[in-house]
Formats: sequence, structure tokens, C-alpha cells
Amino acid sequence: MTAPTPHLTRDRTEQYLLGALPPEACAELEAHTLTCEPCARLLQEEALLEEQLYEIAAATPRDAVVVRPARWHRPAAVAAALVAVAASALLLLRPGGEAVSPSVTPVEAPVLAAREPEEAPRDIVVACPDLATQEHCLRSASARGLLVYHPGGQGEVPRYDASSGLTQVALSSRPAAL
Amino acid sequence: MTTLQSRQDTGRAARPAAPDEEALSRRALSGERAAWDALIARHQRRVVVSLLARGIRVDRAQELTQETWARLIQQQQRGLLTELRLPALALAQAAFLAADDARRARRESVDGTVEDLPERQQPVDPAQSAEKRLVSEEQLARARDALEQVSPGARNVFLLACDGQGLPHAEVASRVGLSVQRVRQILCEVRKKLRTALEEEQP
Repeated sequence: MTAPTPHLTRDRTEQYLLGALPPEACAELEAHTLTCEPCARLLQEEALLEEQLYEIAAATPRDAVVVRPARWHRPAAVAAALVAVAASALLLLRPGGEAVSPSVTPVEAPVLAAREPEEAPRDIVVACPDLATQEHCLRSASARGLLVYHPGGQGEVPRYDASSGLTQVALSSRPAAL
Repeated sequence: MTTLQSRQDTGRAARPAAPDEEALSRRALSGERAAWDALIARHQRRVVVSLLARGIRVDRAQELTQETWARLIQQQQRGLLTELRLPALALAQAAFLAADDARRARRESVDGTVEDLPERQQPVDPAQSAEKRLVSEEQLARARDALEQVSPGARNVFLLACDGQGLPHAEVASRVGLSVQRVRQILCEVRKKLRTALEEEQP
């Protein structure tokens, strides 16, 4: 031990591993561990703990944040969809003449109706109602040039980036809690 | 609704600085040097720490990290890399180099004298520490319990910083709306709690 550099403390080692020390302090600490065996051991222990923390973080399940269009939670939308289904059925069943939209199948009708109020802005993200109809929903939506929020995450819009542009992790960040 | 709004706003503000790992990886795979530099800067610390945890001395750990990046870039230039999953790939490469290093040191020690045994230069046997680094099931359970005790905000900071993507602390800070100092402070607090949780039953 030629140089009288100070021994490592736990706090300082933690700061070093976090990358919070200024470069010259880093260099000093590194130089010290090369000559001082107990400190080298301390550094290894702390580094090991750091690795274990990564392992723990990787093994910790995150609570899923699912972003859905606000429309889904509105009972009005459901009501509108039901009304639309009834109306299209009526149209199809009516014997007299102008069945204007014979191409509308009953499955497609609610999707159409739900989208009606927002035809103006183009970057609307819609969600498919469930897995059973999602293939059909995807096709019909892409035919209209709408972005689809895909339940399986393989659609045009990544699952958690769908409407807010945020990742799942960013969404669960709660600054207020601190 | 208002809280969601504000969260979206902070997210938007952080957007330009958000790490575009995928785009960087793609550019790096096409051989762009600047992209490599950015990725190296992002993951350097993690690789060095992983080597330090194996009981490798600081100077050697840094050399091996350099070697790791050099090899990865070499592989990319030869077209051997089809995809770049970064912390994992670099960590695997570094572990390989470290194991190789240890093997070579041992082989050389056989025809040397006892004083030249690698253990004399390297305080801790890397094989032993490699075994030790695996967190056991009960340790993991205890750590999870401890993590449950931590406030949701602090837990979130910890998960953001340690989720293996090498998110810089400045980025974490901007996402949760705190200062970098506060983020590091929180990380140290969580770390202390987890340390006691991990060491509970050890003598």
C-alpha cells in the first residue's frame, strides 16, 4: 500500500456502482482496490448485490396496465351499438326497396356504429372487442384506414403504446406517491 | 383522469430523450459507429459490474469489457450477428471472456510455482462467486416481500432502473418526475432493504 488512499466505505462503493461518483473519485477508488484486498472484496460483494438486484427486478412481475379507449367504459357507446344493430337488422329485414347497406353483416355493425362519432380525426385508435372477432375487426378497420389496438400486441399499434405513446413501465410511474 | 393526463404530459416531455434501443440496435447492426458508441455508453456500467461481481479486479474488468465490445463489433462486421439484444448479449460475451481468462490463468499456474497461483492475484475464485450469484428461491421470495414493503413510487424507480434495459438514471428521473439525486437516493434505500432481506438467514 504505497499510496495513502482512503479505504472504501459501503456508501461510497454503492455510489461508484451507481455511476454517481465524479471521474477522478472513480479513478482513485479503482486504484485503491488494486492494492487493498479487503476493499477489493467489498467491491465484489457490492457488485454481486447489484447483480442480484437485477435478478430480483427481472423476476418481479409488473402489474399490467391496459390502455383502452375511454369509449369502452361509456354505457352510451354500448347503447348506441345496440341501437345500430337493431337499425341495420330492421333495414335488412324491411321488404320495401332501398336496402342501402346490404354489405353490413351483423358482426360488423356494432364496430361501425361505435366509430361513427369520430370519423373526423384520422389517427383514432380503436380496439377490437374480443379475440373471437378480432381477425374480422382488424380487416374491416384497416380497410377504413383506422389504427387498431390489437389485443394480442401484434397489430399496427404496439399494445401499451396504443393511445398515449407511453410504455407500460412509464405508465405505472407515479410521481405523486413519492 | 387528471392524473392520467399529467402522467401523459410528463411522458411526452421525456419522449425525445427516451432510449430508442430498438432503432439503435438496428443501426448498430448495419454497422453505424455512432449507434455502437451510444449502446456501449448505455450498457458499459452493467457489463463492468457483472465482471466485478465475479471477483475480477477493476482494471481487468475494464479491459475485458473493452474486449467484449470489440468482439461484438467484429462479429457484426463479419455479418455473424443477426440480432442485437443488448445487455444480455454483452453480458454473455463478457462472461465467456472471463471464464476463458480464468481457465488460462489456471493453466499457466500449473507449471508455475505455488506463489504464482491465480488465487494470489485474484482474491476470490470466480467459479465460487459464479455459484454464489444465483439468488435462491427463498431469497427471491424474501426479496419480493421486502419489495412489497417499499412504497410504490420507490419500487417503480427500482424496477425502472434495474429492468435490464440499462436505462440511465437521468432517463428514469425524467420519467418519474424526480431529480437524478433523488432517484439515486431511492435506489440506495431500496438496495439497503433488499440487502437485509437477502442476508437474513445467512450467518
